[in-house]
Amino acid sequence: MAIPLKYNLRNLFQRRVSTVMTVFVVCLVVTVFLFVLALWQGVSRTLSVTASTRNVITMRVGSQAEMQSVVTKDAYETIRSLPGIERSPTGEPYVSAELISLVNLPRADGQTTNVQVRGMDPIGFSMRPGVRIVDGRIFAPGTNEAVVSKNLANRFAGMKIGDTIKTGSYRWVVVGHFDASGSAYESEIWTDVKDLQGQTKRQIFSSIFVRASDPEAANRYIETVKGDQRLKLEGRTEKKYYEEQMITGAPIKVLAILVGIFTAIGASFGAMNTMYAQVAARTREIGTLRAIGFSRRSVLASFILEALLLCLIGGVIGTALAFVLFNLLLTKPTGTMNFRTFSEVLFNFRLTPPLIAGGLVFSLAMGLLGGFFPAARAARLKIINALREI
Amino acid sequence: MKYLRLIWRNVFRKKTRTFLTTFSIVLVLVLIVVLVSLLNAMEQDPSGGKGSNRIVVQHATGLGNFLALSQRQRIEQIPGVVAASPEIWFGGVYKDDRPENFFGQLSCDPDIYFSKIFDDSTIDPAVEKEFRANRNSFVAGKKLEEKFHWKHGDHIILRGTYIPMTLDLVYAGSYHSGDEGNIFFSNEVLNQGKWFGADKYTGLYYTKVARREDIPRVVAAIDRMFENSDRPTKTLTEKQFQLQFMEMMGNVKGLIRIISAIILFAVTLIVANTVAMSARERVTEIAVMRTLGFRRSHILSFILSESVLMSLLGGVLGVVLAKYLFIPGMVKGMQTTPMAPFLINFKVTWVVLMAAFGVSVGVGILAGFVPAIRSSQVKIVDGLRQVV
Repeated sequence: MAIPLKYNLRNLFQRRVSTVMTVFVVCLVVTVFLFVLALWQGVSRTLSVTASTRNVITMRVGSQAEMQSVVTKDAYETIRSLPGIERSPTGEPYVSAELISLVNLPRADGQTTNVQVRGMDPIGFSMRPGVRIVDGRIFAPGTNEAVVSKNLANRFAGMKIGDTIKTGSYRWVVVGHFDASGSAYESEIWTDVKDLQGQTKRQIFSSIFVRASDPEAANRYIETVKGDQRLKLEGRTEKKYYEEQMITGAPIKVLAILVGIFTAIGASFGAMNTMYAQVAARTREIGTLRAIGFSRRSVLASFILEALLLCLIGGVIGTALAFVLFNLLLTKPTGTMNFRTFSEVLFNFRLTPPLIAGGLVFSLAMGLLGGFFPAARAARLKIINALREI
Repeated sequence: MKYLRLIWRNVFRKKTRTFLTTFSIVLVLVLIVVLVSLLNAMEQDPSGGKGSNRIVVQHATGLGNFLALSQRQRIEQIPGVVAASPEIWFGGVYKDDRPENFFGQLSCDPDIYFSKIFDDSTIDPAVEKEFRANRNSFVAGKKLEEKFHWKHGDHIILRGTYIPMTLDLVYAGSYHSGDEGNIFFSNEVLNQGKWFGADKYTGLYYTKVARREDIPRVVAAIDRMFENSDRPTKTLTEKQFQLQFMEMMGNVKGLIRIISAIILFAVTLIVANTVAMSARERVTEIAVMRTLGFRRSHILSFILSESVLMSLLGGVLGVVLAKYLFIPGMVKGMQTTPMAPFLINFKVTWVVLMAAFGVSVGVGILAGFVPAIRSSQVKIVDGLRQVV
């Protein structure tokens, strides 16, 4: 027969101070763990959200990022006439020649970082369904106007509507703010491709952005481009392109695991200490329980359960703390370097249901580790010795 | 001091407990040493912290745009400039795409690079001679050589990403410096590869200034000279140049600091809890000691010393284990993870270790304070009455 759970609960209340301390330690450890994981999750989501399998990014063979690629005007003309490309209601093919330029700009906190400027054909804007203007209007070609994401405008200095972004000899007037549903586009400045070519004195493009009529056609388009020896280009779906950039988040994940393992073992040692102290303090009680008929196994289970309970409380509070932290305090997007594009990628901390579950399992693991050995000692006690103890 | 034996005995009264507490201090210390050293490695100062007379000329809009090779001569004509080496970040793929095979691939002018610009790094004269003579050779940081097991005469293939050419380079030898995470090869290689920009463009100019006090003047002169040209420049000191990358990492630094602070707080709680538990179990004993004539202040210092002693143990063990066991093991274990590029310049300095040790003592004092005060305040009668 099992020892009632109430026995453990009451015990936890009995020694309030040490319970609170252990709970607090577990809570902190879980919060830190979730904090780092939410960071990783945030980066990953930014690079995977709203990326389509119908949109294809065409770049020079071997390029890993648009910024590294060069596409000629001739190649652009060739691509425009390829089959499988969807047409707009006005009959124009959904093909946008784009040019990426990297500029170093000051953030609102005074530090500087790299930002991608994307020059695009005006049709390129409508090819990204997750993007919409929330303030102001879209840039007009031939005027060196630009739109920036709302998040970028908050993070960087001088990107309000009407401001002029200046770097080197380049100038853009901000005429609108857009929202890109949390995707990587939120980290970019958008302007007209011909204007950008003019300012940077470059005659080429970085990539050709194409929308196929369906994912099937997208694959056929990629095959066609690959097969055309004159082009020396290769296509990648938007989804695949951004998935490859998730490398950026990988070190954060390793960091999370590292911090997680070390702090978890440390915290479970703390829990183990309290549980050992409990076994020592309750030796006579354990003897009594055994004497009235509870088996060794029941005692073992009961003490493990108590440790699990102790840590789970910490886990629940820690998860709740992380939840409050991310939803109330850390709502502003933060940024880190995207190693592929060599520019800053903006993201929000994200606490997803799997992460919440992970945090709770993590706290239970601490409880199991911290509870097993003390429980085993309790279960091994000889009744006669235990009862003799004062 | 004469009570040391008593304190020592009390610390080791419950061996499991002391072991567990000490070990959680050890774990946290190791973690913090790793995190702080990782931050230091990211800052990778090529001068190894000594400072240098080097400045870096880059395009005014940042590293995303090229400078013109014709600018070199004009920079070198400025009084106070010793030499300027054009440098291109090749950014090629070595072996495969995985982050652990990533390292800095930089072009330079081998005739002046180690002799005039990086004269504070050490390179075997024979290696440098070969590097100058054989324009297809490359040199690598010692740490990088060890990582990839390159031997003299080995060939490596680098597949270009934004420069559409594949490099086939021969290993000449290694150099030592504050930043050993890069390889260098001659600008000539790009020329031979018929890259269209090889005789027109370069990424930046690594420039040496003769005297440190000349730096502000030279920086201003360079930027003024190209202000209204096709390719305006932004000149930074070497330190600012490195800092730029740190800034691009965003809030990583602050994040790691916050994490370190929180886990330190957590370990303080663990130690405090242990000390409090052991003090509580000894209430009767403490009361007996008080009746024998020990003062409250004695009890206070006993308990506090126990806590500090435990932390000292954790500190010493933590530092020793971090330096000789955990960190070498971890660096080795993470060689095949995405963390690897950060580990090239990873080294655990004694400064960091001593700081960690100091922190552990601080943890002991903080953790012991409350339990020590509480047990010293217990009335003798209450203490004797209590049955634990």
